[in-house]
Amino acid sequence: MIKIQLVDDEPNILKALKRLLKAQGWEVDAYDNVDDALGGLLAHDYAVIVSDYLMPAVDGVTYLQFAKQRRPDAMRLVLTAHGDRQSVIKAINQAEVYRYLTKPWNDYEIVAAIQSAVELHQLVRENHRLLQTVATQKAMLQAREQELQRLEAEHPGITQVLRDTEGSILVGDDS
Amino acid sequence: MSGDPIMTDVPNSPADDTALNEQLERVNRQLLQSEKMAAIGQLAAGVAHEINNPIGYVYSNLQSLDRYLVDMFRLTDAIGSASTQEELEELKQSIDYEFLRGDLEDLVAESREGIERVKTIITTLMDFTHADEEEFKLADIHWGINTTLSVINNEIKYKAEVVKDFGDLPLVSCIISQINQVILNLLANAAHSIEGFGKIIVRTRHESNYVVIDVEDTGKGISQEHINKVFDPFFTTKPIGEGTGLGLSLSFSIVEKHNGRIDVTSTPGKGTCFRIILPIGTSDTGRCS
Ligand SMILES: Nc1ncnc2c1ncn2[C@@H]1O[C@H](COP(=O)(O)OP(=O)(O)OP(=O)(O)O)[C@@H](O)[C@H]1O
Ligand SMILES: [Mg+2]
Repeated sequence: MIKIQLVDDEPNILKALKRLLKAQGWEVDAYDNVDDALGGLLAHDYAVIVSDYLMPAVDGVTYLQFAKQRRPDAMRLVLTAHGDRQSVIKAINQAEVYRYLTKPWNDYEIVAAIQSAVELHQLVRENHRLLQTVATQKAMLQAREQELQRLEAEHPGITQVLRDTEGSILVGDDS
Repeated sequence: MSGDPIMTDVPNSPADDTALNEQLERVNRQLLQSEKMAAIGQLAAGVAHEINNPIGYVYSNLQSLDRYLVDMFRLTDAIGSASTQEELEELKQSIDYEFLRGDLEDLVAESREGIERVKTIITTLMDFTHADEEEFKLADIHWGINTTLSVINNEIKYKAEVVKDFGDLPLVSCIISQINQVILNLLANAAHSIEGFGKIIVRTRHESNYVVIDVEDTGKGISQEHINKVFDPFFTTKPIGEGTGLGLSLSFSIVEKHNGRIDVTSTPGKGTCFRIILPIGTSDTGRCS
């Protein structure tokens, strides 16, 4: 199941978002402080993290920077009531957030943004998986190649098949 | 002032003096007004944040309510048309009626809370500005401090813990909206001076015929070379465009107008304390011009 992490110091925001996002069939974990949210990152593999910007002690962008290190594949979104230019720039340049959303929000906007973040997350995951497959197959091919080279060194010509003009296979080393 | 020897070449007949004084008074009033507007402008950003949060979840809750109602109406409409009790039960199950019921109650309670909060913010903001109140009146300084604190709370809560150490204060004859303005400037400066997370202490006490208000912070302090300039108009260490450097000079003239005093002590690296001393002045109304 797709897991979403919400971080906001305002519990009523978390409840409203849960109402909305659970109805989409996502599993939603809500955190009202950054410490617990960081702990949550260790325990769960989130597809998307939605964080508030202004929070006591640590701001949302700093939190998302941590999150980026712990869970680089999780898509990062900011949802804030504090839409000044400084924080947008910080969010983009430092935490590489995928979307910067503002409160109050339209439900369909949030859902659409998370939906597309989820899709991108799945693409990234799929990409990783495919790269992994390519890597293992490449390793297998390499091992086979090495074995052939070893055989060739031990018994020169053994890896080649010689045929006469009619196409019959020639056995022996009278070539 | 007219006896100043350096000024001897400036003609200053009594008539000139009154004209100048009037002009000074007018400029001062304008400054006060523009500083007030600037303060409100700064507050607006913080207040917007504080209001957008409750509006955010109330608005979202209303949209959820909309969806819930669709399900609820499906059920109530079915009461007339469903042929069997089972059919109704099934529908009840499919819309997760039990959950809806419980969550609807929460949704309404939380939304009410949000609206109450917006209401409180607006009321405090109005209390704070007291629009056109320009008269000396007996006022409760603690009420003023509390109103100011709740107005600026959105901005300082992320920077500092505010500790209130209030003594017993009598009512003070003052223009409370202006005193609020001074407290606001001091709190804003205190919050600005703090790097990371610190503490702001607001202390009050009563001594014979005056009251003392301290605003103390654990911020970066003021250096020896700056401390004598902080009350100068336009003195600021903030980057261009961020501070006007009028906050303290206006505070100074407000306190002066109240026949009070404002002083500063600071230890660089440890913190700063601004002290306001205001005469209670109940019997003496002659100075209110
Ligand atoms: N609590 C404080 N701690 C450290 N420095 C302070 C404090 N209060 C004032 N100052 C210094 O005094 C200067 C002048 O303060 P003032 O309130 O007059 O203007 P400002 O805060 O710079 O600008 P404005 O109030 O218009 O935004 C500040 O720039 C700062 O250097
Ligand atoms: Mg200031």
